[in-house]
Amino acid sequence: MSHSRLISLAVLAATLSPNARAEEVFREVPRLPVPPKTEWTIAVSPTPIRLTAANRRQQIVVTVRKDGRDVDVTRDATIEMVSTEVATVTGSVITAKKDGKTGLKVRYGKMDWEVLVEVENASSFPPVHFVNDIVPLFSKLGCNSGGCHGKVSGQNGFKLSVFGFDPHADFASLSRESRGRRIFTGDPERSLLILKAIGASAHGGGRRCVPGSADHELLSNWIRQGMPWGNDSAPTVQSVRVFPTSRLLDKSADQQLLVTAVYSDGSTRDVTDAASYSTNSPVIADVVPGGLVYTGVVPGPAAITVNYMGQVAAAKIIVPQELSDGEFPATPVGNPIDGLVWSDLKKLGILPSERCDDSTFLRRTSLRVLGRLPSVKEVRSFLADDKPDKRSRKIDELLSRDGFADYQALRWADILLVDRRLLGERGAYEFHQWLRKQMAKNRPYDEWVHELLTATGVSGKYGPVNFYRAMRTPDELTRGVSQAFLGVRMDCAQCHHHPFEKWGQEDFYGMAGFFNGLQRKKLSDSRELIYHAGYKPTKMPLTEVLVETRPPGGEPIDTTAADPRVQLAEWMTSPENPMFARLVANRLWKQFIGRALVEPVDDLRSTNPASNEPLRKHLTQRVVENDFDLKAVAREILNSQTYQLSSRSNESNKRDEQNFSHYLEERLPAEALLDAICDVTAVPENFPGMPKGTRAVHVWDNRFPSYFLDTFGRSLRQSPCECGKSGAPTMSQALHLMNAPEISAKLSSDRGRAARLSNCGKTSHEILEEFMLAAWGRLPNDRERKAAAKIFSQSDQRQASEDLLWAILNSYDFLFIR
Amino acid sequence: MGDPQFVRLSVYPVRVGRALLPGPMLNQGGQECPSYLKTRLKMKLGNLSRREMLKLGSIAGLSMAEILHLQQVAPAKDQKSREDINCIFLFIVGGMPHQDMWDLKPDAPQGIRGDFDPISTPVPGIQLGDVIPKTATVADKFAILRSLTHPDSDHGRGFHTMMTGRSPGAGEFNGNNKNNNMHPCVGSMVAKLGKPGALPPYISLPNFLNSGGPSFLGPSYGPFTIEADPAAPEFAVRDITLPTSVTDVRNRRRQEALKAFNQFEAGAERAGRQVRALDQFYQKAVSLMTSQRAKGAFDITRESEAMREKYGMTSIGQCCLLARRMVEAGCRFVSVENGHWDTHRKNTYSLRELLCPAFDQAVPALLNDLTDRGMLEKTLVVITTEFGRTPRINDLLGRDHWPNAFSIVMAGAGVQGGQVIGATDKIAGEVADRPITAPDMTATILYALGIDHEKVIRTPLGRPVPLADEGRPVYELFG
Repeated sequence: MSHSRLISLAVLAATLSPNARAEEVFREVPRLPVPPKTEWTIAVSPTPIRLTAANRRQQIVVTVRKDGRDVDVTRDATIEMVSTEVATVTGSVITAKKDGKTGLKVRYGKMDWEVLVEVENASSFPPVHFVNDIVPLFSKLGCNSGGCHGKVSGQNGFKLSVFGFDPHADFASLSRESRGRRIFTGDPERSLLILKAIGASAHGGGRRCVPGSADHELLSNWIRQGMPWGNDSAPTVQSVRVFPTSRLLDKSADQQLLVTAVYSDGSTRDVTDAASYSTNSPVIADVVPGGLVYTGVVPGPAAITVNYMGQVAAAKIIVPQELSDGEFPATPVGNPIDGLVWSDLKKLGILPSERCDDSTFLRRTSLRVLGRLPSVKEVRSFLADDKPDKRSRKIDELLSRDGFADYQALRWADILLVDRRLLGERGAYEFHQWLRKQMAKNRPYDEWVHELLTATGVSGKYGPVNFYRAMRTPDELTRGVSQAFLGVRMDCAQCHHHPFEKWGQEDFYGMAGFFNGLQRKKLSDSRELIYHAGYKPTKMPLTEVLVETRPPGGEPIDTTAADPRVQLAEWMTSPENPMFARLVANRLWKQFIGRALVEPVDDLRSTNPASNEPLRKHLTQRVVENDFDLKAVAREILNSQTYQLSSRSNESNKRDEQNFSHYLEERLPAEALLDAICDVTAVPENFPGMPKGTRAVHVWDNRFPSYFLDTFGRSLRQSPCECGKSGAPTMSQALHLMNAPEISAKLSSDRGRAARLSNCGKTSHEILEEFMLAAWGRLPNDRERKAAAKIFSQSDQRQASEDLLWAILNSYDFLFIR
Repeated sequence: MGDPQFVRLSVYPVRVGRALLPGPMLNQGGQECPSYLKTRLKMKLGNLSRREMLKLGSIAGLSMAEILHLQQVAPAKDQKSREDINCIFLFIVGGMPHQDMWDLKPDAPQGIRGDFDPISTPVPGIQLGDVIPKTATVADKFAILRSLTHPDSDHGRGFHTMMTGRSPGAGEFNGNNKNNNMHPCVGSMVAKLGKPGALPPYISLPNFLNSGGPSFLGPSYGPFTIEADPAAPEFAVRDITLPTSVTDVRNRRRQEALKAFNQFEAGAERAGRQVRALDQFYQKAVSLMTSQRAKGAFDITRESEAMREKYGMTSIGQCCLLARRMVEAGCRFVSVENGHWDTHRKNTYSLRELLCPAFDQAVPALLNDLTDRGMLEKTLVVITTEFGRTPRINDLLGRDHWPNAFSIVMAGAGVQGGQVIGATDKIAGEVADRPITAPDMTATILYALGIDHEKVIRTPLGRPVPLADEGRPVYELFG
């Protein structure tokens, strides 16, 4: 058959036959018309293929191994059944017809392969099980999604629990319908449930399944069998398996996944069609329903997460870049972080950038650790230092400065909602002061979090109790505490089972129980006494069922203890709790590297794996090994070659943003940028109600009016995350930096750096050098000297200095951490 | 979905030769939806050989000439002439009560019909609520679309749906976040694909509208936000003029030095994504600062007191006036936010006393002013909202959220005024005729602004995404 003839057939089939699975008719189109070499082998998964009453349908994956690499050819191979009496094949899906044995012939290029197909008990439709069969079908067809019948109010009078979290309620509401039009047990095909689903009757959600399909058949059979709930002792899903678990893929290639559910009796079922899929990096590889993964043009790793009935598995997809062997630089020794990053980069074929120069290192580290620019003097002496260990000495020195505590306190104040509007001035001030003190002492993270969680006292005197004032209800606290300290988003589990995690409502209200009984006694307008009055039973809303108070996934607590929060704090801060250390490790990495290992930084779940999982494990382990001394872990990160890479990318890593092959540029955060402008112009900002010399990173009050901080994105402190801070560029930012009267006043102030330098007889050359050291932390190059000389030739020195400083403040070397 | 009788069968990409097409959309007879087939073909035709195209075309019932036409990037003739059309997009935040303003049901039972009586308009057969009498006098200028419908009764989700033409989907979505877009909003689409003018292409007045963000189009296509109320006496758009001490000559020197400092960045592929994004804003900011005409557009005091009074000295009034100045000066898309319409309590009182007077002053003033200046033909005015309100009046004398059926209004840019499109049932509760979806709305606005509504853009991965989903323009609007 000619190529074009095949295409026309293919298109004809796709256009005219609604039942044809799209890829079926395309399978004969050779995509890789390369003659197979002798060392190629072909394999079919699974082998052998066993179809039973419960597993009537089987996706297969055809893999060709060539030159040591596996390539998916499922959609390009010719797949035929020896006897279509026993089973038929549609695309790459085998469907049972009648009991017996036959062969499945697979041909690709000149290669042939035959697989045994066994069919048992196919003649009778097996008893349908509501939880195992019907609920997943509703999920697959989208009936129970939040936008449709899963809404709290249902849709047009038909209500299902969202994502099927409450099968009993769904069953009850459907059974009730059996007396109405929605379901006719006598004539299933006349049931609205089916007519709507197959689009034979007007349906707001359109047609959800194809008439005659396996889904349609299942639904009909369930009704025909009298809508059974099913045997309560029927096997339940224990786990899911995905094939392949890891695969190297070319750019613009695809891979069919094969997903198998394993039941408690050991039986298995192909659920490729019914599972849901997501990717952690759609730029590298994306996935569509049905488990087809396809890659883009960007190299890197992606994790495809497969979810079926709450069970999760992941397939790691790697799109490597072509790189010849000799090129890859040796792994830096001495820091395990580098080993883990380098081995990943090598696998991906991405070359790391060079090590950054000394001035870049100093400016970057000073900004990352202290949120401030190095002074002119500091830059000069660092550049003059010629000892080989000067970087690690500098790291120690910066980490020991007060500024580190200030900057850390600001970060935690954002996360822990130190909001003046909610806490009052006194409360916000005390809370901020307390946080700063913990940072200044470098108190181990587990200790101060323990104190915070169990805080009892008066809000105006004892800072940490204010944590219990911004978030007030047990529900809010459950969401806040789990997100801020565990990296678990419990929000979903409040109303239904978390769609991507193991958490359910019992976990949510189990945790809320710790905060039930928390008392707030109003002492004055803005002061409260916070204490816990002891265990109080917690009931699930609506159902009124009593829930045991326990940590998520943990054991029920001793209800006789005076303050149940102590037990939560013990459980949470224990080194055995994997969630506590892994979140703060991820936070530290983001703080210094600019991109977290898992993004978003506080959404850690099995369905959201890290871009470098071994590195994430290593850092988590280091946090525990250092007894939660975060400064020690910060020191390790800062001393790594990975942290000290240049931001200048090379041809092979310019597209990489998640494997740490080069340093990612990031605009200075709002507070640090405002301080930097004050430092470079040498005109400090006056903050209302704060002592002179206060810097923006010191300010505890997040509500004082500041157009600058709003425009550049300070945290609103409205949710317990770092997401409130926004670094996204806008036109207003550019206009503000160029034209704002406030900044203009700093440039031309008589007390400012421009005025001072031009009044003391310095040469234009000296002025330029000092400006650049102050703003860029480096000496100017020839081109920059020439541009400055031109400015100085055009007007008097004072005005020229102001103009030069203006240009420096608007330059990218100033605005970005590089 | 454009046409309810068709259903997207599969989102599987389908391989044709070396090309991947999105899966077909079929009706019950198994025929492919013709408009969607065209969309599908357009996505990939460029990668197919001529012979492959011919085969595809013969099956889809298209001639080679038609296929070649499909491939052309240049819009059809009619579209070309629409390239200069701008849009004022007035968003009524909270949910505009369709049955009290645009779609009266005087014969509905007590407890549904509400307290407003229908009043006549210059157009025979069209009646509006007596709470907007001045708007009624210009009913010949606008069309009422009475059959909008979507499934999202939550503010955040409804907002997203009506700003972008797409529901935010089943995944994680927080409607309270400002820049929460899962899909670009229509303003950002215009900023990306429309013909550029002298002003930023997409301006948001007075604040950033929720879901008004650019999503994967990138931050460069987000709105320029004024963040000040033009009705306030000291209103000025900050930072768009040079500081007083800086002359134009001085500014040129400064810009020249800055250019030298940022030189190795210019056009450099090596510059990081963030740097490149900020660089674009710098370029736009400089061109705004240096154009007198552009700057003047922001200066509302250049309007006479009489003109300002005509629009009303209210936020909505002065925003509408400023929006007119902006489209006049070359902005392509101005979104105006007007809030507090979520009348869960005291609906009648709120509308009569608090909300409608300002609305009823501003809207006819805008339409009359655009007509007087000969701008109405070149300006599409859209009055939209996240959803309508419940037919039944609740115990607090309010109406609640109702996305099943609601009304929006369009005028200008060739929209035939004095017409009603679509209809609802006896209680304005469900669509009775000609359902119009959010994607249809997006397609209509794009069509009106000369942008190919079937345009397929690519996400960073390269996945093809049709801008307006399967929406189809409401062509009846344009006569």
